Amino acid sequence: MELLAQTLVNGLVLGAGYAVIAVGLTLIFGIVGIANFAHGAFFAMGGYACYLLTSQGLNYLAAVPLSVLIVVIIGALTELIVIRRSLYGDSHHGSLIVTFALGQAAVAGLILVFGPDPLPVPSPLGQSTMRFFGIFVTSQRAFIFVCSVLVLGALGLWLRLSIKGQQVVAVAQNARGALYSGINVPWIRALAFVLGVAAAGLAGALLAPISTIYPTMGYGALIVGFTVVILGGMGSIPGAMLGALLIGVANALFETYVSVSWTPALGWALVIATLLFRPQGLLGRLQQHRH
Amino acid sequence: MIDRKQVGVSDDNKSGRTAREAAYIACAIVVIAIFAYVFTDPFVVTLAGYTCALALFALSINIILGGVGEVPLGQCLFFGVGAYGAAIGMGKVGLPFELAVLIALVLSVALAAIIGVITLRLTGAYFSIVSWGLTGVAMVAATNLEEITGGPLGLFGFPPIEIGPLQLSDPQTYFAVTATILLLTILFLVALRRSPFGAAMNSVRQNPHLARSVGVDVARVRLKAFMLSAPFAALAGALAVPYTQIVTPEVFSVANTVDGLLMVLLGGAQLVVGPVIGAAMFTLIPQAMNLDPNVRILVFSSIIILIMMFAPGGLHQLGVALRDWFGRKIDDDRSR
Repeated sequence: MELLAQTLVNGLVLGAGYAVIAVGLTLIFGIVGIANFAHGAFFAMGGYACYLLTSQGLNYLAAVPLSVLIVVIIGALTELIVIRRSLYGDSHHGSLIVTFALGQAAVAGLILVFGPDPLPVPSPLGQSTMRFFGIFVTSQRAFIFVCSVLVLGALGLWLRLSIKGQQVVAVAQNARGALYSGINVPWIRALAFVLGVAAAGLAGALLAPISTIYPTMGYGALIVGFTVVILGGMGSIPGAMLGALLIGVANALFETYVSVSWTPALGWALVIATLLFRPQGLLGRLQQHRH
Repeated sequence: MIDRKQVGVSDDNKSGRTAREAAYIACAIVVIAIFAYVFTDPFVVTLAGYTCALALFALSINIILGGVGEVPLGQCLFFGVGAYGAAIGMGKVGLPFELAVLIALVLSVALAAIIGVITLRLTGAYFSIVSWGLTGVAMVAATNLEEITGGPLGLFGFPPIEIGPLQLSDPQTYFAVTATILLLTILFLVALRRSPFGAAMNSVRQNPHLARSVGVDVARVRLKAFMLSAPFAALAGALAVPYTQIVTPEVFSVANTVDGLLMVLLGGAQLVVGPVIGAAMFTLIPQAMNLDPNVRILVFSSIIILIMMFAPGGLHQLGVALRDWFGRKIDDDRSR
């Protein structure tokens, strides 16, 4: 019983981290209309920015928001220079190739600058653990969980209550209709892209102390992000959160009770099953002429 | 989409076209023969043979990318099936190389049929992501099924690889064999492109809804193209084994597919030999300039971004644009 409870809690904490990555991905998909294959690279950049700042002697807690800021700047430049020019055209696999190439270039750049080896990011929360009702959670994981919930909650409130947030929702629902109502659609798309990659950067900075950072860390995050987003329904933010929790808990259960070495295949098995039986995902809307 | 302009064969007559093609083939054979006998450095010749194998893989990718217009991020699955098929068949079962490869090819087509039925209902990013995911599953399986695949260390230490009397361990024979297979594949693909099935693929890529409305069975064409592309990738995987001498779960890495995609995009997806040109550029230029692999990825990825932004048809499109531009200039001068 205690093992099950511990496993479920581990799964929820894992899922909260996944949710931040996946919400960014699904935001970009829903509003910009592209599957951002460079998402993992922004995740890695978040981790590396955090490493750079903490190695300059900055406290980890201060370094996290600054890392997000750095990723925001890089994301905005990417949007301005590449995404905006190449992706709003009509070539439907162009966006995929361009974002993939961006990700490749960024990973290669990280390897050239920082080297291929894993680097540690120190956290003041360190290895200390907290104990609730007989269940152990390391402080860093608790911190990740709290930050994720706060950020996702704030994003949800912003989308629901602010004017800009409502405009974002409008563009996601019907970009042409939004344009005719006077919403600055290109600007909203840029905003969504930057917000999405900022979420990836935040996740990278949050997860850096527990996983160490290495240039290809983004691929794992990207794969998890895609499995979560397809499971939840592409473009659906509640779907991404639900999918993240499901996959987090499923992974934790599978690792505890079945096999650690086969766990990476589990997410894909879930995705393929989803696509076979409910192609729009758990909470997605059925879309016919979207790619 | 990519093909604003069809590659300019429409204006010349058929016999002229055939004659010109025969000349191209003769040239290619002469170049291969000269290359195999002029370059005696075993490293260069083996690398050229490996380049031919990679070009074969790029051609397989281009059946999907240039053919039906999807980005097959999972194509290295079939490459890996070929490589593992050859390695397991030779090393574990003790079959001759050609028989092992043949079995791997049949297996890859069967696998493509199953995967295609599941994944080809998806289009665009969904298809790419799910096919990528399947290679992830394959990599996990190859790592864990240690009795069959050798686990994370992979399979190595093969007996000398030979096809009948041809020793593939000899660099020049290896190059001659891979180059011949590549040439035959190109001829096959040219014929395919001209066939009704090639036209059907074209219509499916350009506008699936329109294609369906004029009676093209879109799902069937896509599945056939997928099944057709698989054995070429598997053959490429098997032909890479004499060069790499080891098969590890890394063959299922997406980086492999990305290399192939870069080759296709560098050369241009709408030209049959585009992927071959791309493969040559991708392996030979970094080798000649002694580039670090990461610099290579950085440079080629940046080139791809620029190509997709400014010339989505590949470098070949730039060439055509330049030719047209000069052609117009000459016409202008004449008319004056």
